Amino acid sequence: MDVLSHLATGFSVALLPLNIFLVLMGCFIGTLIGSLPGIGPINGVAILLPLAYALGLPPESALILLAGVYYGAEYGGRISSILLNVPGDAGAIMTTLDGYPLSRKGEGGRALALSAVSSFAGSIGALILMVFTAPMLSQLAIKFGPSEYVWLMVFAFTCLATMVGSRPIKTLVGVVIGLLLATVGVDSGTGVLRFTMGIPNFFDGVDFLVVVIGMFAISEVFVLLESWALNDLKITPIGKSFVSMADMMHVKWVVLRSTLMGFLIGVLPGTGASIASAVAYGIEKRFAVGDKEHKEHFGEGDIRGLAAPEAANNASAVGAMVPMLTLGIPGSGTTAILLGALMMFNITPGPLLFEQRPDIVWGLIASMFVGNIALLVMNLPMIGIFVRLLSIRQSYLVPVIVMLTFIGIYSIHGDSFDLYFMILLGVIGFLLRKLHFSLAPVILGLVLGEVMEENLRRALSISGGDWSILFNGPITYGLAAATVLAIFVPLMVGSLKKRKALANMADMED
Amino acid sequence: MYDRLFAGILLLLSGLMVWTALQLEVPFQYEPLGPKAFPVMLGSLMSMAAIWLFIKPDSNSWHPTKEIVKKLVAGLVLLVIYAALFERAGFIIATFVVGSVFSWLFGETPKRAGIYAVVMSVVSYFLMASLLQLNVPSGTWWAGLF
Repeated sequence: MDVLSHLATGFSVALLPLNIFLVLMGCFIGTLIGSLPGIGPINGVAILLPLAYALGLPPESALILLAGVYYGAEYGGRISSILLNVPGDAGAIMTTLDGYPLSRKGEGGRALALSAVSSFAGSIGALILMVFTAPMLSQLAIKFGPSEYVWLMVFAFTCLATMVGSRPIKTLVGVVIGLLLATVGVDSGTGVLRFTMGIPNFFDGVDFLVVVIGMFAISEVFVLLESWALNDLKITPIGKSFVSMADMMHVKWVVLRSTLMGFLIGVLPGTGASIASAVAYGIEKRFAVGDKEHKEHFGEGDIRGLAAPEAANNASAVGAMVPMLTLGIPGSGTTAILLGALMMFNITPGPLLFEQRPDIVWGLIASMFVGNIALLVMNLPMIGIFVRLLSIRQSYLVPVIVMLTFIGIYSIHGDSFDLYFMILLGVIGFLLRKLHFSLAPVILGLVLGEVMEENLRRALSISGGDWSILFNGPITYGLAAATVLAIFVPLMVGSLKKRKALANMADMED
Repeated sequence: MYDRLFAGILLLLSGLMVWTALQLEVPFQYEPLGPKAFPVMLGSLMSMAAIWLFIKPDSNSWHPTKEIVKKLVAGLVLLVIYAALFERAGFIIATFVVGSVFSWLFGETPKRAGIYAVVMSVVSYFLMASLLQLNVPSGTWWAGLF
C-alpha cells in the first residue's frame, strides 16, 4: 500500500520529540484561543506566525504548530458556546443553538463530552478522507498548466464571492484589495518597481505578516474595545453528567453525514467552518423532522443539533488543508495564512509538494492524527482547566495580545516602520469589518496575487499574447464550467433569509 | 452613507492605481503582458465594483456613540505611542506604560493594572529575549547609560 508507506514517513516526522511538543503546544493554545470569545483561529494563527518564524523552526515544525492551533481552535470554540452562549469562534456559532440549552438544563458535562467526541470523529473521519483524496488530487493537479491555474483562482474567488460574506460585491472588493496589495514591490518579470511610493520598505513587497497581523489581530483589539462593557458573563456549571453510549449511538449517522458535508465544504476554496457548520445543522434539522422515532427539538437542546455542527466544523478545518497542500489554493481564511507561512519558508505548496517534500505534507497529516488524540484527552478529562481559563478577564488578555503582535512584527525586520504600517492596516481592517467586508478574501487575494499574475503572464507568453490559450483542454473547460456553476447555484439555492444569517457571520472570520 | 464614502475613496484609489500603472516605464520586456496589464485590469475591476457599491450601498448599521469613538481613538493613540516607544524606550518600559493603560481601559483598577503590566512586561522580556532568543529592543534612549 502506497498510502501506508507515506503515512510511515509522516509519523517518522511527527513523532520527533520537537514535533510532538509543538503539536501538543499548538493544540493547547488552539483550544484556549478557540474558547476565549472573540479570538478565533485566524487571530491565533496570525499572532503565533511571526513568533514561529522568528524562532527559526524548520518549516514542517512551524506548520505542525500552526495547524495545531487551527484545528485545536475548532475544538475550543464550543466550550464558550455551550457554557456562556457566546461562540468562541465563527465555526461554533451553530453550537450555541443546542449546546447552551443543554447546559441550562444542567447537562453541560454531557454536552461538552458529546461535542468533544463529535469533534474528534469529524476530524478523524476527515483526516482519513484526506489521506486518500489528497494524493489523487495532487496527481490530477500535476497536469495543470498556467491557464488551468488562472482558472482555478478565478474559480476560488468566485466561490468566495458567492458564498462568503454579506454581499458578493463586497467580497469581490476584498479580493481585489488583496490582489492589488500583492502587486506592490519589485516586479519579478522585469524588475520594475510598482506602487512603492518611493518607500524602501515596500521594495520587496508588502510584508505578508504585517498585513495579516494588522488586519486581524489589531482590528480585533479595536473590536474588543468597542464591544467591551462591564459584563459579568455567567458560566453555567458543568454538572456531573457525562456522555453515554446511547447518546453516541443516537448521533452516529448525524456525525457521519456532517463529517462528509464538512469535509466537502472545507475543500471548496474559501469556504470554511462557519458555513460548514451552518449547512450541517440545517441538513440534520431536516433529517430529524422526518425521524418518527425521536421527535426533534432542535434549538432546545437536541443532541443531534449539537453533534452536527461540531463534527462539520472540525471536518472542514481538515478539508480546507487539502486544496492548500495539493493545489496551493487555501480552503479557508486560516489556511490562507498557513499557505502564506509556507511561502515565507520558500516552499510553494502545490502538486509537486507531495513528491519533493513528502516530509512536510505527510508529517503534517500524521501530526494531525496525533494532535486530535491529544485534543480528545484535553477535552474530556482535562476540560475543567479550559473552563477555568474561560474566566480570564479581557483586561489581562488584551495587553498580552497587543504585546505579542508588536514583538512578532518587530522581530521580522527590527524596524519600527512595520509597527506603524501594522497599526494603519489595523484601522483599515476595523473599518472594513464595520462596513461588513470580510477580511478573509483580502488575505486570499494577497496570498494568491503573485501566483495568479505569474501564471497569467506565463500562459500568455506561451501563446504569444493570444488570450484563447485560457480555453484549451478539458481541465480549463471543466474549471470554467465550475466557475459558472459557482455563480448561479448559490443564487438559486440561497434564499434571502440564509444570506442574512450568513451576513451576521461575516463579522467573524474563520 | 459610509458605504458610499468608502466606494468613493475606492474609486479614487483605483483610478490612481491605474494611472500609476500606466506611467510605469518598462525598459525591457520579454513577454506580451508585462508588469502593467495585471494592475490595470484589477484597477478597472475595482473601479467598476466601487461604482456599483456607490449606486447600491447597504443601509448603515454602525452607529458608534461618542463614548465608543472616544475609546477607539484612545486605543489608536495608545498603539501609536507603543510603536513610537517600542524601539526608543525599550520593550519593558513601553509595554509597562501601554499595557497598564490598556488593562485600565478594559475596566481594571489603576493599581492592579499597573502591577499586572509590570509583571507582564518584565516576565515576557526575559521569556522572549533569553528563552526564545527573539529580537526584543532594550531601548536606544538608555543605550549610553549602561
